[in-house]
Amino acid sequence: MAKEIIQVKDLKVHYPIRSGFWNRITDYVRAVDGVNITINEGETYGLIGESGSGKSTTGKAIVGVEPVTSGEIIYHDVDITKSKNRRKLNYNKDVQMIFQDSMSSLNPRKRIEDIIAEPIRNFENLTTDQERDRVQELLDIVGMPSDSIYKYPHEFSGGQRQRIGVARAVATNPRLIVADEPTSALDLSVQAQVLNFMKHIQQQYNIAYLFISHDLGVVKHMSENLAIMHRGRLVEIGSREDIYNHPMHIYTKRLLSAIPVVDVEHRAENKKHREEVEQEFQNDQSKWYDQEGRVFPLQQVSGKHWVALPKDELEREELKEEGRN
Amino acid sequence: MSEKKENTSTEEVNKKKVSAPASSIKVIAREIFKDKVALTAFIVIIAILLFTFGGSLFLNAEKVTETNIIDAYYGWGTNGHLLGTDDGGRDIVKLLIMGGRNSILIGMGVTAICEVVGLVVGLVSGYYGGYIDAIIMRIVDFIQVLPVMPIEIVLVTVIPHYSPLSLVWIISMFGWTGTARYFRAFILSQRGRDYVLASKTSGSSDFKIMFREVLPNITSMIIIDVVIAIASNIGVETTLSFIDYGLPSSVPSLGTLIGFANDPVNVVSRPWLWLPATVMLLAISLSINYVGRALQRAGDARQREN
Repeated sequence: MAKEIIQVKDLKVHYPIRSGFWNRITDYVRAVDGVNITINEGETYGLIGESGSGKSTTGKAIVGVEPVTSGEIIYHDVDITKSKNRRKLNYNKDVQMIFQDSMSSLNPRKRIEDIIAEPIRNFENLTTDQERDRVQELLDIVGMPSDSIYKYPHEFSGGQRQRIGVARAVATNPRLIVADEPTSALDLSVQAQVLNFMKHIQQQYNIAYLFISHDLGVVKHMSENLAIMHRGRLVEIGSREDIYNHPMHIYTKRLLSAIPVVDVEHRAENKKHREEVEQEFQNDQSKWYDQEGRVFPLQQVSGKHWVALPKDELEREELKEEGRN
Repeated sequence: MSEKKENTSTEEVNKKKVSAPASSIKVIAREIFKDKVALTAFIVIIAILLFTFGGSLFLNAEKVTETNIIDAYYGWGTNGHLLGTDDGGRDIVKLLIMGGRNSILIGMGVTAICEVVGLVVGLVSGYYGGYIDAIIMRIVDFIQVLPVMPIEIVLVTVIPHYSPLSLVWIISMFGWTGTARYFRAFILSQRGRDYVLASKTSGSSDFKIMFREVLPNITSMIIIDVVIAIASNIGVETTLSFIDYGLPSSVPSLGTLIGFANDPVNVVSRPWLWLPATVMLLAISLSINYVGRALQRAGDARQREN
């Protein structure tokens, strides 16, 4: 069993909704509402959900750029939701982030050298020459030509920029990288390229990834364990096999059925299956979500596999699953 | 057009040349030269600057302001005075040179102070947001609702050892608020961008992010604001001098020259006293505004025609 690197315990990020004459807080947007995740050293943990499900907020909270309403994020036995603890640990030396939009995550007024060297300058004491060597080395790792250091972000293509983002994230030899939809803005061939670089770097330096995505195909390629998120809560967590082969929650099934399959002969069958799942999702809302439309607490199914269902529903689903086998 | 762009960009790659993103100086130059009005305005500004600052090098301030009642009220071109003389027998051309220089210098001085203070306040306010922003913006609101002109007049009269420098400080005291508001708006739009988050995760301090990351991204806004602020601050100074609460009487200014128009007799029968200064003020304000608008187009791609 690999050692765990970070533990997220009952993480909540709520945004107040203000209204009325006195502009008082009348309600909250529950962007993240009680999320528990444990990430092991050197693994890729997939976090999947639709837009607005709170997955990016979770990622940002883990990196420490999003204020947390309640809950704990334990790293090295310290709760890093407090900025004091983050500073003491030099937390961001160990935990870095890759952003979705590579254009806006690179400062358009800075050269690539200064962009990649920024974390090095902040966390490590290197001379100018050592620093330049390190930047060159990083560019080598992500397969960029060495004259890139004198250029500006707008002179590169999307895939190249994302690789620069990867280079910046690994600059300080972090233990964990939160990758917030790193490839969703790229076309397919470039996606594969960037993902392979990320895998390559992971094997070389034993980095753990929290891989945030809405693309189940990509996540299948990348991660061993994954969590499905919906409406700010986790609906299902488990290993890759659990989720892809034995999905329990309707939302997971819905996501899986949405993966396009190139299978002309069974086209009608696949379509029927898709429509069945959608029908079930639309009709049985009360079975999968409580009265307020929130996701139920997680229940253990087996080993690593947990699903958000009430106890009795869980048993019924298990019977159904067994009957099918 | 796009083909042409591609060609140039590949050429650049081939040469391995370093080019700034949307190189501001080049874009600014292009905007000014393309627009005939802006180009004329630019030339007028250069001419006025040469005339006032260059001319004042050859003049002795004390001699220019020396009174010589015998020479008073010469008309255009009489007795070697190209634009005549005023009530004290002082040459209008020389007063124009000295006065123009003083007015422009004060406009620049006020602008320098206002821009620096406004920029820092706007950066802090916009970057931190929340309570800090609310408090700073309420202070700015408070200063902006004050009747600025009467307060300035009172301050000018009560301050001991009054000098042109005190005038600069008095005008600046109330001038920075607009600048702060202006820059705050731009910082607000910048601070949510991913590159700011990336800098935070890279461990940069807030101070560093504000001045090293965000500030370079609003440089074109700063240039525009500086240029337009100079014009309006020259206006403030001349207004105060016009009503005799500006520069001390021993220091010539465009405002004091225009102030001759307070007397109906001067307006009708001695236009040489106030007309040149008025024309000069008009020319420089208009020119600066036209150049400023060209700069605005350079700074904001959406306002550009192509």
